[in-house]
Amino acid sequence: MSVIAEHGGIAEHIHPEPQGFIRKYIFSLDHKIIGIQYLITGMVFLVLGGLLAELIRIQLMNANGGFLTPDVYDEVYSIHGSTMVWLVGIPILTGGFGNVIMPVQIGARDVAFPWLNMISFWLFPIAGLMLFSSFLMGAPVAGWTEYPPMSLQGAAGTSMWCAAIFLVGISSTLTGMNFLVTILKMRAPGMTFTRMPLFCWGQFATAPLLMIATTALAAALAALFMERQFGVPFYDPTRGGSPVMWQHMFWFYSHPAVYIMILPAFGIISEVISVFSRKPIFGYRLIAFSSAAIALAGFMVWAHHMFTSGIAPYMQLPFMILTFVIAVPTGVKIFSWMATMWGGKIHLTSAMLFTIGFLILFTFGGISGVFLAAIPFDLHVHGTYFIPAHIHYVLVGGSVMGIFAGIYYWFPKITGRQMSEFWGRVHFVLFVIGFTGTFLPMHWLGAMGMPRRVATYDPQFQTINDVMSIFSFVMTFAILIFFINVIFSIRNGKKVGHNPWGARTLEWQIPSPMPYYNFKHIPSVYGLPYDFTEPLPYAHLEEELTDSPVPVGAH
Amino acid sequence: MAVASVPHEGQADQLYVETRALRLQGFLLFLVSDLVLFSSFIFAYMYLRNSGQGWPPPGITRPAIALGGLNAAILFGSGATMHYALENFKRGNFIRYAWLLIFTIILGALFLGGQAIEYTTLFREHITWAGSGIFGASFFTLTGMHGFHVLCGIIYLTILLLQSVHGVYDKQRYFGLTAGTLYWHFVDVIWVVLFSIFYLV
Repeated sequence: MSVIAEHGGIAEHIHPEPQGFIRKYIFSLDHKIIGIQYLITGMVFLVLGGLLAELIRIQLMNANGGFLTPDVYDEVYSIHGSTMVWLVGIPILTGGFGNVIMPVQIGARDVAFPWLNMISFWLFPIAGLMLFSSFLMGAPVAGWTEYPPMSLQGAAGTSMWCAAIFLVGISSTLTGMNFLVTILKMRAPGMTFTRMPLFCWGQFATAPLLMIATTALAAALAALFMERQFGVPFYDPTRGGSPVMWQHMFWFYSHPAVYIMILPAFGIISEVISVFSRKPIFGYRLIAFSSAAIALAGFMVWAHHMFTSGIAPYMQLPFMILTFVIAVPTGVKIFSWMATMWGGKIHLTSAMLFTIGFLILFTFGGISGVFLAAIPFDLHVHGTYFIPAHIHYVLVGGSVMGIFAGIYYWFPKITGRQMSEFWGRVHFVLFVIGFTGTFLPMHWLGAMGMPRRVATYDPQFQTINDVMSIFSFVMTFAILIFFINVIFSIRNGKKVGHNPWGARTLEWQIPSPMPYYNFKHIPSVYGLPYDFTEPLPYAHLEEELTDSPVPVGAH
Repeated sequence: MAVASVPHEGQADQLYVETRALRLQGFLLFLVSDLVLFSSFIFAYMYLRNSGQGWPPPGITRPAIALGGLNAAILFGSGATMHYALENFKRGNFIRYAWLLIFTIILGALFLGGQAIEYTTLFREHITWAGSGIFGASFFTLTGMHGFHVLCGIIYLTILLLQSVHGVYDKQRYFGLTAGTLYWHFVDVIWVVLFSIFYLV
């Protein structure tokens, strides 16, 4: 990307950096600190949710169960799903990476509303604690989707679940508004929409989903809460309500929610694949606009989750066709990434390995998604293990692989040190082996009709389940390696300069770790973000952009 | 390259213009998400209304249109007074602005009073939030949510009134008043929809 440092103008206003520990690291207004807080908290919940997943796998090693009682098993998979969606996937990819990287990539000093950003963050761990505290009063048992009437009959923890998800929803809504205003109004001079890095495009497509879809879920949750606590009939069919209505309201949010978890990951993949292929991204505009197309179409497909719920046949067909249509922009992306790698000088770093893994595994998940969109097939496998197979392929093979790629890629920018590449490769190999062994057989189990969300199962599936459980331990072990690598590298990783990967986007043109005010002078941008014909490094530019800023008083 | 230590006059103005643009957009997005919240409940209402039980469900009489219409007129009138309050503030007629804002607050309070009368009438007919099937659920939830928004608006406008008496806003800088006006109009528009679906159709 061609950049010059611009002098003068409004951009010279700089608040002094707070010095106290609490203002600097706990209640920080700095988007980078808040983003790191999001990442750390999200990783803590990833560990907790992963441990719950292992409880599920241990239970399923025996066809007759026996490790957990059926009730506890229901609680475990419900909280596992809720944690992974609301406390891991969404916060890490939007609040985490979005906060750390997005403002720097568009050449801004912070997000539009730093106070709101801080509030968004602090709602998130509180909501997480509330969600886990529901174990104390009888956690929800109807899965992360909490369909009535079962959720109406659940123990008191179900109401706590409603409140927790409502709260984390407020956090997402505020983040979405904040990011949308930031990207619309605070881009550096010359940073037009067609010069914006694709990670920012991912965030830009995600922000309206966060803002609109999450609010719709808030209404559904509020109604469920009111029905459970005050007996207001919304969902109970015996009192005139409709349980199918919950499914409409829930999926109107939750289908866009899976795009909330994948569009930022698409952005990360686009950054990594271009840098490590040393080639401009193929089809920049196609990738950018297909993100927007996916976000828009994501609002029009929710009822494909409900083909077996008794919705009218004339409604089913359009939803099936629209769901097929979503595969088109997604396919455009996959082919653009492959074309980017074609003929490039590929560097197989850990980040790039996870990106290639993403391309393969996510494509699997996308294809099983097209299967599920077809009504006849969906009727056959609905409520079987085919559904967890699909969701884990897109959310673990997609979002989580994207998260890992992003962490390996931006770790030097956040800490100034590089993670161990050797252990990164070990992590990758073990993770992919464990992942495939755990989730690939689920497709077959689903096609053979093993029902999901049941604590016991037909003994004929025992061997295959045992194998899956063993592979799931491999996957857990791989994640353990990752965490050890992160903790070790924070203190002892190899020190690297400001731009170890030779990337061209703005965040790599300032020192690592990033200085408090990002840019001393707001840069002016001309040219595309993936122009690898430009010489490196921009040594003079680094000084221009960031020699230590002289703070002026608060305005 | 040294950085200016004190923002000079023109810079401060430009800074204000920029932050106002940010806040205005942020506030509009807040209203959009609030609109989605109402829309979801309105969707729930329409879904339940068309679920084959008839509307109003058997045994329920609709609330009287006379009182509802009067209430709607009061709220729409308050939208007009709020609009002229802001216009007068922009032109510098502070006294007229203050009176119009006070009128708006009083009209808002009257609206809430009318709603209280309506609720007590319904309660006397044993039509309640939790005990009257889908009618009670959708009517009391939606109008209650709207009433809560009106209450928040009254508090917000009162704060704006006190702030402007203390000279927080001037002819160039009145973003708080713009936001208050936008919010009040938003509450009005929501009532147009709610009035139509509960009293007219």
